[in-house]
Amino acid sequence: MSYRKVACVGAGITKFVRRAKETGRELAWEAAKMALDNAGMTLADIDCVVIGTAPDAFDGVHMKGEYLADGSGGFCKPVMRHFVGGGTGVFAPIHGWQHIASGKFETCLVVTEEKMSSCFPAPAGAFITIFDHTTEQPLGPTLIWIFALEMNRYMQRYGLTEADIAKVSVQNKLNAIDHPAAQLGAKITVKDVLESEVLAWPVKRLDISPASDGAAAIVLTSEHKARRITDKPVWVSGVGWALDTAYWATRDLYYPQYVEKAARMAYDMAGIREPNKEIHIAEPYDPFDYKMLHHMEGLLLCKRGEAAKLVADGVTARNGRLPCCPSGGALGVGNPIAATGLMKIIELFLQLRGEAGKRQVPGDPRIGVAQAWGDLMQVGTVVVMSR
Amino acid sequence: MSFLEKHQRNVDLTAFDGKIPVHYRYTLGLAGDKFFTAIKKDGKFVGTHCEECDVIYSPPSVYCERCFASLEDSWVELPSTGTVVAFTVVTEDDQGKELDCPQVIAAIQLDGADNTFVHRICDCCIEDLAIGAHVQAVFKPKKERKGTLDDIEYFEIAAE
Repeated sequence: MSYRKVACVGAGITKFVRRAKETGRELAWEAAKMALDNAGMTLADIDCVVIGTAPDAFDGVHMKGEYLADGSGGFCKPVMRHFVGGGTGVFAPIHGWQHIASGKFETCLVVTEEKMSSCFPAPAGAFITIFDHTTEQPLGPTLIWIFALEMNRYMQRYGLTEADIAKVSVQNKLNAIDHPAAQLGAKITVKDVLESEVLAWPVKRLDISPASDGAAAIVLTSEHKARRITDKPVWVSGVGWALDTAYWATRDLYYPQYVEKAARMAYDMAGIREPNKEIHIAEPYDPFDYKMLHHMEGLLLCKRGEAAKLVADGVTARNGRLPCCPSGGALGVGNPIAATGLMKIIELFLQLRGEAGKRQVPGDPRIGVAQAWGDLMQVGTVVVMSR
Repeated sequence: MSFLEKHQRNVDLTAFDGKIPVHYRYTLGLAGDKFFTAIKKDGKFVGTHCEECDVIYSPPSVYCERCFASLEDSWVELPSTGTVVAFTVVTEDDQGKELDCPQVIAAIQLDGADNTFVHRICDCCIEDLAIGAHVQAVFKPKKERKGTLDDIEYFEIAAE
């Protein structure tokens, strides 16, 4: 299969906050304008616009893609919005990649946004109807039920403790202290996590990422455009996405098959045969601490059940052999769903260009992978980036 | 099957009721905050001006959708008059129930603005209403104004 090469040449991100004064459109514009400025481009240089934003129910705006279009640079341009739940942010560059790799467009502005604070007092109420109205809703489920069942099953399968998993939250919140957009950067301890309020055992308050408002954007271009814009293009060298069964409890609760399928697709395209050796830096999706471990295993970065040990041994720390979530992840930077996934892509972009400042991982990284997870918790979206 | 049978009661379908229990708290945003504050405090419309595109937005935007320039420091005042671009007379509510009093709704372009917004027209004006009619905003008394769209009672035919 022959595709055109696609490069990322600019990135922008708003601060992630619990409650933004800005409207969703204003957040989208701030990030999109920042991405264009970063690339040294103007809106006139953009051929098409891709918008990634998760449930309309968060912002309280149906047809949210259309609502966000003007703030995303969509005035009188071809615009498409995609939505794969929590996987949306890492699908955003895939969607943009399709537009350029196909040969149809030379440049694409990719914008992601979420304003979760509109759903008041908490976004959880919007989620009751993602559960089956006949076989699940009568039980009054919340999203945390899913994560509690998964986390318990994962711990039982590999003999892990809550403390083993809490180390992820400690690591990522610490990393986030150095991220200028971060909402929850903090120095916390395993004890803090273990003693935080239990929401649905074994999931506790500090195992979870926050609800956030924020936006992120990147500019993608074809190879020849990229060569004219920058001497440091970062290539979208592999893309993959896959769904597991739609019945969430039927899924393998301790292993994310959907991530492995998506990862194999992306690695195959990027020519990566041994991801645990060839990937220098990873941004697995970490809306929950155990989920970063789940996703490291699904991304084939380690053996099944081994991820917690890598975290405990410091392998995943910013100065470790395989830095995971050097940005601070969803747990630390915050989790405005679609914008979170693109925040991870932006982290790879900056790290691979050597522009991550205080967060820069040592060792001149050349290849990175980012991943997100969503839909009814059964989609995996994966992007490999390289320079 | 449902096409062939006539069900008189919901329970015949073994159906049950449900709802999506959500409540929203929206922010006015950066532009909206200035627009509604000017209405509430001064009974005035304000807008933003993109010099590059020579476009005035009211209701305002802090960016120009055409060129993406920041308009955060480009505020202008506008008169409270405008032109009816289109109108309709609404006789049923969103559930198909007849309204006690028909409601007149119009797309209005404020004098000087390039964009258009939608508001009510006083039903006392219906005889004189036409596309192109010049109208003016009637604001609620200052102490009743809350900084929302309802601070504008309605538009009526401008006295000229």
